[in-house]
Amino acid sequence: MHETMAENRLTGPALNVCSVSKTFVARPVLRGVDLAVPGGQAVCLCGVNGAGKSTLLRIVAGLLHADRGTAAIHGFDIRKQAEAAKRKLGVVSHASMVYPELTVGENLNFAARLHGLADRTSRIEELLTLTELAPYRHDRAAILSRGLLQRLAIARALLHRPVVLLADEPFTGLDTGATERLLAIFDRFVRDGGAILMTTHDTRLGLRCCRRVAVLDKGVLVLDAMTDEIEPDRFCTDYLSYARSMS
Amino acid sequence: MKDFWLGLRAIVIKDIVVELRAKQVLPTMIVLGMLIVFILRMASESSSTSAGAPVMGAAALWIAFLFSGLLAQERSFAAEQQNGCIDGLLLAPLDPGTIYLAKLVANVVMLSIFELIVVPIGLISFDLHVGGRWPQLLAVLLLGNLGISSVGTLFSAAVQLTRTRGSLLSIVVLVILMPMLIPASFALLVLFGAMPEQVGGTGSLAFVGSFRAALGYLLAFDAVFVVACWLLFPVVIQE
Repeated sequence: MHETMAENRLTGPALNVCSVSKTFVARPVLRGVDLAVPGGQAVCLCGVNGAGKSTLLRIVAGLLHADRGTAAIHGFDIRKQAEAAKRKLGVVSHASMVYPELTVGENLNFAARLHGLADRTSRIEELLTLTELAPYRHDRAAILSRGLLQRLAIARALLHRPVVLLADEPFTGLDTGATERLLAIFDRFVRDGGAILMTTHDTRLGLRCCRRVAVLDKGVLVLDAMTDEIEPDRFCTDYLSYARSMS
Repeated sequence: MKDFWLGLRAIVIKDIVVELRAKQVLPTMIVLGMLIVFILRMASESSSTSAGAPVMGAAALWIAFLFSGLLAQERSFAAEQQNGCIDGLLLAPLDPGTIYLAKLVANVVMLSIFELIVVPIGLISFDLHVGGRWPQLLAVLLLGNLGISSVGTLFSAAVQLTRTRGSLLSIVVLVILMPMLIPASFALLVLFGAMPEQVGGTGSLAFVGSFRAALGYLLAFDAVFVVACWLLFPVVIQE
């Protein structure tokens, strides 16, 4: 992973969002959002329901088109150079994106083929070891627990050696052990030079693995700061009371 | 180009493996197809003329192909909705058109398996004979299959992946397929001996003219709609 990240190094930000706006049926969801995430950094994107977090992530992933503005992954525009951008992008969400009828190994093999990986077998082994899924490789995804399923989703997202990882509510439904494993995988990804943009309602967990925090409110980025510039405990408390007042 | 073939092959194999394990679509298709054949067979028994059997046989087969095909195609994208798998496909570095073509190939394979089972049942039930014209029968079935699958795959994506679920899209598919069903029915009627090779006069079947022309119409329909649906697919799945 180290070698690949080194090959992937880029002088500009790994993820660059410029003036992105999006409106759904006359309701503005994002209003001119700017965000740049360099390699080796994880950003925790907070916001109450409807603030525009998932919409922003879907636009960055190329699953949704912005009305205005651009998003680039590793310098590749997600609209104009979609295939190149998607080769550098991994996505984890609360939906696992795996087929219940296929085994763990088959799901990874399918994802590897979609990404045209030349070293499929060795890379799948590497990811099975990283996510501690090797004992389950012949098990169908349908019988996996939520925690194992999320580990499979992570393995799927990291399979093609992305430089940017988008994680939409990755801790949803995970127990403490599974959460710790996921945090360790994220930590290793960042140490290896990857960039993470993560949304979560659990700000304490988010701040544990991110050195930077951004807050979206009604489609506007109202805070973008390094965690050492804020008091994490106070931020969590303030954010919680703000979220309660909005719900 | 290598990525195109790799991606296409991966999606087709995955779809077939998933169906073989889930056994969700094919059994339902076969039951529906056999029901249609048997009901129309019973209806044709009440016909006073023996000439009704080939006509009813051709009608039964096309109705079975059409409705069972649409059922399979609707499921092909519904399965991708499970666990957000469609996002996994769209996040792959593939042209969206590749996803359409892969789904089309998988649907053609499914409908071909269905035809392999239901056509012999239809031929026996209606006591139909094609003589030595099996290659022509295969060509008509394959061209019809491709026509139904090309339009059905696109509209299945539109219904499942966009917010148009529950609309009248299925009816639109049937209307679009009408120009294909006329020469397809004509071709089967000729093969079953219910119509001469060439016909004149007026009416929708007479408009087709001859068996060769019917094959030409089917080929043209398939070419136009495969290309059109392939080009439209990225637009349809947008948001």
